[in-house]
Amino acid sequence: MSPEHAMTQPPLAATGALSMNQQQHLGATTTALTEKISVRNLRFFYKKFEALKGINLPLYDKKVTAFIGPSGCGKSTLLRCLNRMYDLYPEQHAEGEIIVDGANILEPGVDINLLRAKIGMVFQKPTPFPMTIFDNIAFGIKLYEALPRADLEDRVEQALRRAALWDEVKDKLGQSGLGLSGGQQQRLCIARAIAVKPEILLLDEPCSALDPISTQRIEELIFELKSDYCIVIVTHSMQQAARSSDYTAFMYLGDLIEFNPTEIVFTNPKNKRTEDYITGRFG
Amino acid sequence: MASDHILKSYDEELSRLTKAITTMGGLAESQLAASIQAVVKRDSELAAEIVAQDVSVDQLDAEVEALAVRLLALRQPMARDLREIIAALKISSDLERICDYAANVAKRSIALNQAPVARPAYSIPRMAKLAQVQIKEVLDAYVHRDAEKARKVWLADEELDELYTSLFRELLTYMMEDPRSITAGTHLLFMAKNIERIGDHATNIAETIFYLVNGEPLAETRPKRDRSSSSVVLPGITGVIENELGEPKA
Repeated sequence: MSPEHAMTQPPLAATGALSMNQQQHLGATTTALTEKISVRNLRFFYKKFEALKGINLPLYDKKVTAFIGPSGCGKSTLLRCLNRMYDLYPEQHAEGEIIVDGANILEPGVDINLLRAKIGMVFQKPTPFPMTIFDNIAFGIKLYEALPRADLEDRVEQALRRAALWDEVKDKLGQSGLGLSGGQQQRLCIARAIAVKPEILLLDEPCSALDPISTQRIEELIFELKSDYCIVIVTHSMQQAARSSDYTAFMYLGDLIEFNPTEIVFTNPKNKRTEDYITGRFG
Repeated sequence: MASDHILKSYDEELSRLTKAITTMGGLAESQLAASIQAVVKRDSELAAEIVAQDVSVDQLDAEVEALAVRLLALRQPMARDLREIIAALKISSDLERICDYAANVAKRSIALNQAPVARPAYSIPRMAKLAQVQIKEVLDAYVHRDAEKARKVWLADEELDELYTSLFRELLTYMMEDPRSITAGTHLLFMAKNIERIGDHATNIAETIFYLVNGEPLAETRPKRDRSSSSVVLPGITGVIENELGEPKA
């Protein structure tokens, strides 16, 4: 074990968290965890409405964390804080800290464009640009890097391969991205997000508009990608959270109710509200 | 049980499962009680009825399994609900085994009735009484989802083990004294073993209930007093030779 690994002790997670020993016992971790993002006492306001009421949460590198909870619980809001999506709206603001690699991204003066290059995001509905499949991927790369044509083509191919889409589109890279099926469009968006080499991938209900087969392709892709990224997924499907995440955060009315290894959350949750929600007893 | 599901049909299916288990439990109780009656009253007719009745237990077990599989596939249960279903599956097969053992006691009682009355036969109902209490208590614990009660049943199995060990020794001595009693003695030995196994299944059920309620297995180690597997009775020596580990001395 490298000294770097030996030093990465994850802090105690939120409500009802298990000790490291317990986590290891449960097989949730085989190597030491690195906290890629630390959310600390995060509060978020839509005008005067407090949508997040002091969230504390670690997001581990090379792991998938799922946010679950009923509509309006704040899970998408939390996700949107992680890349400061809310900056687009003047009446919304966040308080607290989101530490990414040691720096608080909520500080003024943070370069939002660089931040978003580091933290890629995929939305509920596939949002390909109205351009060719090739340009959909190349567009983002060109914003940050000036590459010779051959290198650019290489990067586009890599991204499409990584997103498990290459074989399906390699003969029609010049065609519009809008001509693809929903599942393909979503994988195109994931390819676009990873083409700029982010470190963190945020997925906001990426499969809610997809059929089960496309959904499983995306989930397989998430599994493939987690060896390189810190992945956060917001999902309404508890089965999807159970299938594809390592950690699950259950949120309710702007509070984080429980954060634990996914296996614990779905077999023996420590909080009654979590149990009621995942077993379909929510009143 | 916890509060209701949003989907009422889900609750209905879960309670059907619980009901099937309770029915099976009732059957296990009555089968064991009847088989002991058959032994005590040397009633071969009753014994035959018990053996025939075993089919309905198997049917119920199959029903529970089908219902559980259906729930698993269609409801994708989580947490407590998942444990309810897993527990039903396990308890159902424990109860099915208990009924098998009761039927086996009944079957042996028919053979026993061909032989002259053997004195140690009177110890069988005493042992069975304990097993019956264990079953009754564990079913109670299931109905009320009472982990503490289940734990008590689990601990109480020790007594049954002790009784079995002493009956085992008694029977060995009895057979040694009079080789003509070996047929009866052997059947009684198997009956005692069957009843002892019934107790073990009751403790299995107790463990399952504990897990169902708490989501964690019973972590203690249970005191075991079944020493029959290491007991030796030698002619001319009263008592049993054992070393410190309860193993027979070479």
